[in-house]
Amino acid sequence: MLSVAARAGPFAPFVSAAAHAVPGPLRPLAPAVAHRDRKVPLDPKRPLLCRESLSGRAARGGLVVSASLNAPASVRCVHNDVAVPDFSAYRRQDVQDARASSQGSSDSRKGFSYLMTAAAGVTTAYVAKNVVTQFISSLSASADVLALSKIEIKLSDIPEGKNMAFKWRGKPLFVRHRTQAEISQEAEVDVSQLRDPQHDLDRVKKPEWVILVGVCTHLGCVPIANAGDYGGYYCPCHGSHYDASGRIRKGPAPLNLEVPVYQFVGDDTVVVG
Amino acid sequence: AWGGQRRLSLSYAQTLQNIPETQVTTLENGLRVASEESNQPTCTVGVWIEAGSRYEDTKTNGAGFFMEHLAFKGTKKRPGSAFEKEVESLGAHLNGYTSREQTAFYIKAFSKDMPKAVELLSDLVQNCELENSQIEKERGVILQELKEMDSNLTDVTFDYLHATAYQGTALAHTVEGTTENIKKLTRADLASYVDTHFKAPRMVLAAAGGISHRELVDAAKQHFTGTSFAYKEGSVPSLPRCRFTGSEIRARDDALPLAHIALAVEGPGWADPDNVVLNVANAIIGRYDRTFGGGKNQSSRLAALAVEHNLCHSFEPFNTSYSDTGLFGFHFVCDPLSIDDMMFCAQGEWMRLCTSATDSEVTRAKNYLRNAMVAQLDGTTRVCENIGNHLLHYGRRIPLEEWDARISAVDARMVRDVCSKYIYDKCPAVAAVGEQSSYVCPDSLNHSGSLLVSSCLCMGGVPRHICH
Repeated sequence: MLSVAARAGPFAPFVSAAAHAVPGPLRPLAPAVAHRDRKVPLDPKRPLLCRESLSGRAARGGLVVSASLNAPASVRCVHNDVAVPDFSAYRRQDVQDARASSQGSSDSRKGFSYLMTAAAGVTTAYVAKNVVTQFISSLSASADVLALSKIEIKLSDIPEGKNMAFKWRGKPLFVRHRTQAEISQEAEVDVSQLRDPQHDLDRVKKPEWVILVGVCTHLGCVPIANAGDYGGYYCPCHGSHYDASGRIRKGPAPLNLEVPVYQFVGDDTVVVG
Repeated sequence: AWGGQRRLSLSYAQTLQNIPETQVTTLENGLRVASEESNQPTCTVGVWIEAGSRYEDTKTNGAGFFMEHLAFKGTKKRPGSAFEKEVESLGAHLNGYTSREQTAFYIKAFSKDMPKAVELLSDLVQNCELENSQIEKERGVILQELKEMDSNLTDVTFDYLHATAYQGTALAHTVEGTTENIKKLTRADLASYVDTHFKAPRMVLAAAGGISHRELVDAAKQHFTGTSFAYKEGSVPSLPRCRFTGSEIRARDDALPLAHIALAVEGPGWADPDNVVLNVANAIIGRYDRTFGGGKNQSSRLAALAVEHNLCHSFEPFNTSYSDTGLFGFHFVCDPLSIDDMMFCAQGEWMRLCTSATDSEVTRAKNYLRNAMVAQLDGTTRVCENIGNHLLHYGRRIPLEEWDARISAVDARMVRDVCSKYIYDKCPAVAAVGEQSSYVCPDSLNHSGSLLVSSCLCMGGVPRHICH
């Protein structure tokens, strides 16, 4: 729809509809050109590209005349004619009636709006937090890397009395299937005499399985299984003797062999890490 | 001075007590006659009627204003220019005004001419001729007047404010009516308007000056007994409540050099005692105009800010009341680029009043208000108008002594409470006229007042529209 909206500004004396009859749709508007013998206070050389160009020349805000190709032309006369449109389609139920005060329902309307805002705010915060953490946690270790941190060991592969060594997180992991004799022997040891006092049952979940990190707590060598004076492990580097529970008994090491985090999954499997 | 009156040294309180009492008599047909006698050679007599644009509907909007124009153009007893000539031969002034809720006609004359003035008024109000040729002639006159009124941007702003704040109700109508109505109103419409609204129980005959109440009542009985007081088939016009809508209207015109902005929240009706406190609050806010000499040292905080940061050309607070509702707000004129700053500061001042109005500024405001109340009543015309207004709004004349007592009872805590009640967290109505290219939008009125967030929540009614 082509429409031309022009300000009558400088032409106001010639197009002042308020003081004269308003032209109906069939009658033409007054000509927008002044008599030839009068000077038109407009610079014809300056290009009139838009309504704003004309408006700058107006003595004061004048009438607005709008004409278009296939819609009625209209002339707004004075501010009294400006009618505020009817917004009933957007009003809430409480304020539909123009004859009732809006004060009474004001609290409930405000309450509803504030509640919706608060709920929206909480939801947005929750969603935003989730999105951000998802993106940032994608920068952390991936699943295949994390998988390397755990090891699953089949316990039925390890006969009684035998100690098996696995590579786990770059370190040796000792899984020892202890005999009953070893278990009772370790249980009877006087804890107060130990350098790093710990009762055997505190270091194991099931007494027949002891799982240790095979790194000597002295200077980090790998102890040899089923060696040493205490029926446990012996570190050849500096002569540390560990017992069947991995506790230091003789030698320069200060602490017991580390017990990693592990979990028995089912009867036959243990997951370490 | 007239009659060489001796100057008495009375205290303020004594002076207030010595003001003569307003005497009120009600005639049999319901017309109220009220007067304040004072020893003056002149007097003002007038009729105040409970009729205005609020009583009109969309089709008859403008009838009251039209009627006011025709009132001086001749009555049945004194056709044509005979009426005006008779008034002028008394050396009297005849004046009238129409507003949204009341219409008034009053004559300022010598005290001895009071009975004649009453007769003239009764003629005007009861026997208006509404001659057809005059009606046609007045159409053009009124349209021209409307065009001239369009250049008074303050009034235009307030009209827009009413149009948006009370949208969809009778208070949205302008007093003058639309051009369509001015062209279409017929004699029958005007006659029906007069018949419906110019009834004795809705009128007050007020007088002030060198008149005696007894004589006034006699004159009223003689001339106003005929005023009708009955309605056909019980069709008494009722005045429904007008709903206030927090909303905005912008009449943008970049050709104008300045922006006029008016912002208001819904205030109380006439008879509400909160009005006194709100007037004190307005006195704290104060007024300002670029021509004020106080500069940065003005007691009004907002004015000092306006000077320091060059926020506006002028501002003034207002508290317009109607029978059951009102508009409490402020209006300012400023350069287009400082609209947001001025709006922010003005609303900040409102918030400050709600939370931390201090005793010293309340005391100052009370004194200012007392002074204004008393100074306002200089002259018989002002007193007469005061009587007419009070009887229509309150049902009785409230004496200055009572006003003084009510003002004295206001303290800082009351100002904070009442301001919070009307301002805090309420949606305002805003009207803006002129160049507003840099105007964003007003906050809803609460502490955090973040522009974007709270502007999306217009609890009052919704509309945030832009109208050319």
